[in-house]
Amino acid sequence: MKNTIDPLSDPAIEVEHLNFYYGSSQALFDLNLKFARRQVTALIGPSGCGKSTFLRCLNRMNDLVDVARMEGSIRLDGTEINSNALDVIELRRRVGMVFQKSNPFPKSIYENVIYGLRIAGIKDKAVLDETVERSLKGAALWDEVKDRLHESALGMSGGQMQRLCIARAIAVNPEVILMDEPCSALDPKSTARVEDLIKELRDQYTIIIVTHNMQQAARVSDYTAFFFEGLLIEFGKTGELFVKPRNKQTEDYITGRFG
Amino acid sequence: MKTFISRGEPQVWLTAAALTTTLLMGLTLIVVVMINGLGAFWPSRLVELELQGGQKVLGELLRREPLPDHSGMRQQFKVGNRDLYGMDFRWVDEKQVIGRQWPQQAITVERSEYGHFFGFLKQVVVPQPEQVFDAGDSPWQQLASARKAVAALQDKLDEVMSQINSVNYALEKEQDRLLRFDYQGVSGEDPQRLAVKAEIESLKAEFAQLVRQQRQQQGQLTGYYAQFEDVNGRTKRIELDGIVRCYPSNELSLVGRCGIYASKLWELLSGEPRESNTEGGLFPAIFGTVLLVFVMSLFSFPLGVIAAVYLREYAGDGLMVRLVRIAVNNLAGIPSIVYGIFGLGFFVYGIGSGIDQLFFPERLPTPTFGTGGLLWASLTLALLTVPVVIVTTEEALGAIPGGIREGSLALGSTRFQTLTRILLPMASPGIMTGLILSMARAAGEVAPLMITGVVKLAPALPLDGQFPFFHLERKFMHLGFHIYDIGFQSPNVEAARPMVFVTTLLLVLIVLLMSGVAIRLRNRMKKKYTFGTF
Amino acid sequence: MEKKTLRRIKRHDRIAAFGIRGTGVLVIAGVILILLLIGREALPLFSSPTATLEQRVALPDGLTADAVLAVGVDEYLQQAYVVDRQGRFIFFRLADQQVVSRLSAQSGVDDDVLTQVEPVSQYRYALHWRSGRISLQRVRFVQHYNEQGQRVSSVFLDQEASFAPVDALPNRTVVARSDQGSTRVSLLPGQTLDIEQQVTEEDFLGNETTQSYRSVLEQVHPDALTVLKLDHGGRTLYAATRSGGLLRWDLSEPGVPRLLDKVQAFDDHRAITALTLLIGDQSLAVGDETGLISVWFPVPTEEGPGSKRLGLIHALSVHDAPVEQLVPSSRNRTVLSLDDNGVAHLDYSTSERHLLTLVEKEPFTLAALSVRGDALLGLQRDGAVGLWRIDCPHPEAGFKALFGKIWYESYQEPQWVWQSSAASDEFEAKLSLVPLIFGTLKGTFYAMIFAIPLALLGAVYTSQFGSVRLREVVKPAVEIMAAVPSVIIGFLAALWFAPLLERSFPGFVLTLVLVPLLFVLLLLVWSSLRQRPWARYVERGHEFLVLAPLLVLALAMALQLGPWLENGLFGGDFKLWLFQQAGVRYDARNSIVIAFALGFAVIPIIFTMAEDALSNVPGSLKAASLALGASRWQTVWRVVLPSASPGIFAAIMIGLGRAVGETMIVLMATGNTPIMDWSMFNGMRPLSANIAVEIPEAPHGDTLYRVLFLSAVLLFVMTFVLNTVAEIVRQRLRRKYGRF
Repeated sequence: MKNTIDPLSDPAIEVEHLNFYYGSSQALFDLNLKFARRQVTALIGPSGCGKSTFLRCLNRMNDLVDVARMEGSIRLDGTEINSNALDVIELRRRVGMVFQKSNPFPKSIYENVIYGLRIAGIKDKAVLDETVERSLKGAALWDEVKDRLHESALGMSGGQMQRLCIARAIAVNPEVILMDEPCSALDPKSTARVEDLIKELRDQYTIIIVTHNMQQAARVSDYTAFFFEGLLIEFGKTGELFVKPRNKQTEDYITGRFG
Repeated sequence: MKTFISRGEPQVWLTAAALTTTLLMGLTLIVVVMINGLGAFWPSRLVELELQGGQKVLGELLRREPLPDHSGMRQQFKVGNRDLYGMDFRWVDEKQVIGRQWPQQAITVERSEYGHFFGFLKQVVVPQPEQVFDAGDSPWQQLASARKAVAALQDKLDEVMSQINSVNYALEKEQDRLLRFDYQGVSGEDPQRLAVKAEIESLKAEFAQLVRQQRQQQGQLTGYYAQFEDVNGRTKRIELDGIVRCYPSNELSLVGRCGIYASKLWELLSGEPRESNTEGGLFPAIFGTVLLVFVMSLFSFPLGVIAAVYLREYAGDGLMVRLVRIAVNNLAGIPSIVYGIFGLGFFVYGIGSGIDQLFFPERLPTPTFGTGGLLWASLTLALLTVPVVIVTTEEALGAIPGGIREGSLALGSTRFQTLTRILLPMASPGIMTGLILSMARAAGEVAPLMITGVVKLAPALPLDGQFPFFHLERKFMHLGFHIYDIGFQSPNVEAARPMVFVTTLLLVLIVLLMSGVAIRLRNRMKKKYTFGTF
Repeated sequence: MEKKTLRRIKRHDRIAAFGIRGTGVLVIAGVILILLLIGREALPLFSSPTATLEQRVALPDGLTADAVLAVGVDEYLQQAYVVDRQGRFIFFRLADQQVVSRLSAQSGVDDDVLTQVEPVSQYRYALHWRSGRISLQRVRFVQHYNEQGQRVSSVFLDQEASFAPVDALPNRTVVARSDQGSTRVSLLPGQTLDIEQQVTEEDFLGNETTQSYRSVLEQVHPDALTVLKLDHGGRTLYAATRSGGLLRWDLSEPGVPRLLDKVQAFDDHRAITALTLLIGDQSLAVGDETGLISVWFPVPTEEGPGSKRLGLIHALSVHDAPVEQLVPSSRNRTVLSLDDNGVAHLDYSTSERHLLTLVEKEPFTLAALSVRGDALLGLQRDGAVGLWRIDCPHPEAGFKALFGKIWYESYQEPQWVWQSSAASDEFEAKLSLVPLIFGTLKGTFYAMIFAIPLALLGAVYTSQFGSVRLREVVKPAVEIMAAVPSVIIGFLAALWFAPLLERSFPGFVLTLVLVPLLFVLLLLVWSSLRQRPWARYVERGHEFLVLAPLLVLALAMALQLGPWLENGLFGGDFKLWLFQQAGVRYDARNSIVIAFALGFAVIPIIFTMAEDALSNVPGSLKAASLALGASRWQTVWRVVLPSASPGIFAAIMIGLGRAVGETMIVLMATGNTPIMDWSMFNGMRPLSANIAVEIPEAPHGDTLYRVLFLSAVLLFVMTFVLNTVAEIVRQRLRRKYGRF
């Protein structure tokens, strides 16, 4: 491994001294880590450890919470995210997100995919059609739905809906895709398809995935970060972290002693 | 039996009885309204009674009930001929009746004054019989052709009347301008003022000319009349232009009866009221109700939806917002009369008087906006229904899961885009429900209108062909108030009964239809989004 | 994304956020705040009156205060006038003190001077001349407009009557004049009253003849008489003594005075120093040496029909010094009193409300009220005339008048009365809100005892025992019932149900017997039938289908048997029987009609909300109870009802709120009689109907108008409290069960 360039030397996202508060209680404590470009990083840890909160810092979804406050620095390709000067709208177009519970809009499949383009004012039919096909193919959904693009998205199965949400996210060509336990509400078969999809998407996107499923983290990710009570306990290559955790807490968690 | 009681089954049956009673009450209301309302226009047969002492009675049988002293039964008849008998209704003791028949020639005449006439046609008189009648016509056929001729004359007269009205209106406008000049202190020699004066003179001349024409045409009409005879042989002359409708009640076939029914129904929906609102049509009231609800929606709908969007999507979730929410929910339960009196104090006497002083000072002390009118009534109702719209819209928005909002925002849409592209379309059935419910409420509400501008008889519609077309300051008529007015303020309550029931039926149908649609819409939506909370 | 698009959509977002926030806050604040404005309209009812000095000028013609016998002011508060000892009426402008005109009254005797001027009523004065003559003078202001459109007023002084001197020199004389004639009463030494009445009669030819009657009453009272007072028609004479006695004579039959009253007004034998009659000539205001102002009028006694005795009705404010002068208002029952120290008090007699006290450095010697009651003209000892503007728009209102028991004229005792208008000007509006609040409570009470059981039991059945399909049908049906406009319910109640009830009341009474009877019978039969297979179907939520024909049958039977019952038990006429046996009048529009009609309006509301509350009780709770072997009724009674009780409570509160505020139904079906009687055979007048009835007659800004606003505020407060309680309970429930 020494001879290859360390992917972390040119990270997509760099987090330094990040503290996060909900009102008066602190949720995240002095986090420092980097996310490798075009790699999958998994965030693991027990419930309530702050991994989802951290994920939501990366596209500033926490702005929606009135009492939330963020300190420290997050840089996306060198651009500071935690700054008033930053345009949240633009940030979110660069950092897509897939949620725990699939949330397709009550519109047609087609309209769901191009929603990001529509709100950006793109009306060119050719561009839209092309995007729909590319995104759905990217999300490995094209073959299943190409004949019913104009039917309601609410008629799809759970796994399809989640992949539609992924297609919706990649339709706007983001650099980073955040996934907040994308498979927690899915059956094993759908989970496997989504996991395959994540592996395919790695070539094009930087992916950060929150999961409480250690096997999933081990299967899909290149890097893994273990969170506990708002602290980053350990970060490293997935292979190393799972095989040889440096930290006692990490080991306990991975081996299933708590969590 | 013992277990039946110990298990509490009688109690269960008691609850069932309560439900049955409730439903039966509702059903009774509908049935009573339906029977009385639908039957009101059915041309019933005329029965001729011969009483002891030789007197005869001709009329429609209305009801039968025991005598006050329980010694027998009595029957109530509508005998019409108010101008001859002084009253339209008559109770007859059954013991006095010695003969009963249904004469073929009996005729019902609906007149524009004095109510119905029941009797027999004797003779039809027209100025030039040879031009109107064919030889060998029966009196009945003569009556039909004479009425046709009269209708043609009347059309001409109506034309003149409408001309008179518009000249009158123009005259009023010019006089208002003159008043304004007076108020502004424009001197008597001002050319503009002189022009207005000249205009007034010419309008007055035109007016006088039209009135002459009208009088002359009315004179022509008086030549057409018919001689009738009541059952006891008293003759009655009825001018043909005073006849609204006449038919041989006992000769009519079922189809004929349906025709009469339909023609009365049409008159109801499109005609003007007659005889202090107890006969004729409801058009001004229907129109007033619709316009009122429409203008009200123009105010309450956007404002209510925006306020709800603010409460749910833009305001945080602090104590203040919770209090506001309680207050808004609360406002939906404030009695309508409180809104009414508020509308009177704030809109009519407050804003209305202010407008008068600013824009129409020359007309004072005659108020323009400083008195009840369509605008103020609509605003009052809007105030009354805004809470309903806010509550339902808020509930509809609240029923949308948060994930949908996050999904949209995570794709880089602004809050406004999320609102217009995702949230409002999703909430639209709920919003529609709120709107329809508030419209139904406004259509049936009377108390606040009574003090903010509804009248028993409005001289003109609030919407007409005269500039500026929309006359929001005008007083208007309303179906609900119509019921109250003719049911309670009418001098002849008994004669007004059919009309009240018909109006009631109409209002019940409108309101129930609207709320039925709203309830269905809501229930369908509830099924669609199972996360709904209504 | 293109920068331009981004900028555009972000601009839209900002504008929209601004607009929505702005409009939202505005709408909500507006809706809430403007309702509070209703309160502002009602507030002046309780404001304390104020008097502000507007003008203060020296007397014209260099007169001193001693030389002036009477003062007055015109309606527009432009001109004041004084009467001096020579009988001159001097009119001067208050603004610049310029004398406008001087009009002289004459007695016909040379060099006669005035000894006393007694105000008889507004602008009417009895002039007492030293020669013993008395003349009645009237000041008349005539308003007209000149070419410039300005208001000009001219004054006239008319002599309305003149009385020749009496033989003996009287201590005191009072006169009165009306269309029918004139009356003079002189007090002669020895407490002797000399009464002279001139009656003018017109025969059928139009010739007027005047007849003179004279009567002498000797030694009417052991103590010296201090004050005499005749009413405006000269029909009643009042006298007061140095020892606190009050006497009243009826002079309506000429020549035959009849002593009506001779009462010892005050036990401490205080001297009575001033008398006056308030507007309407019924209430006698009495001022005494202790400074008390009291109001008396004849009250019916138990001695027999028509017998009335003067009674102390109201005790008004107390001066520090003997009362010198009493001036009644010509508009209402306000009385102005002036004491020896020159302090003026203004009191409203009926509600015993002390309006204001006017204490000036220079004491008042004379005072008068303006026609409109909006100003007080006072002559002060230093010879200055001051005009105080009185800001007291609603003297007849106030807390006591609106909510307390008030003793009105010609009433036997203090009462709560609502009677806002009558034909005569002298009528006093009786604005007690208590009968109306009572009416609201009574109507609500009857409606609720009818509605609550039906709605709650029905809701229990629908949510707990009924089949799913039943629920899907019943709920919308009941909601539709809720949408029926109240004007329709009111109309049917008043014009269809009320006559029906009146005709067959015994039948309805019979229903109350027959329905339970048939119900019990049915249950007896059912308990033996229920083992049959088809009975299972009924018990799976279709009981109500069996009951519907039963109820209809019971009602039909009762109505058929009603006349029979009426003949048998009530002697053929229930209403007559009720009146003779119980002394209760049967009103066609009574509380039973209201119970049905208002109940009809309230049932769907309580039903819907209670049903929601009951069906939201988690199924797991029910299942747990049923699994323990509880029957369906036991489960509902012990498990479901307790956990749904807050929701049911909220439902009842909301229903109450609706019943309190409902207008059209009560307007149409109550008869609108503001009586206070719990009887179910009488009607009532609730606050809401009262507003609808009275507001068309209430001029903007008038006391009645404001009182109606006050009743709206009361309604608002009542419903607001009820709804808030319900809403808080509901919000708590919502948090508990997640949804509601």
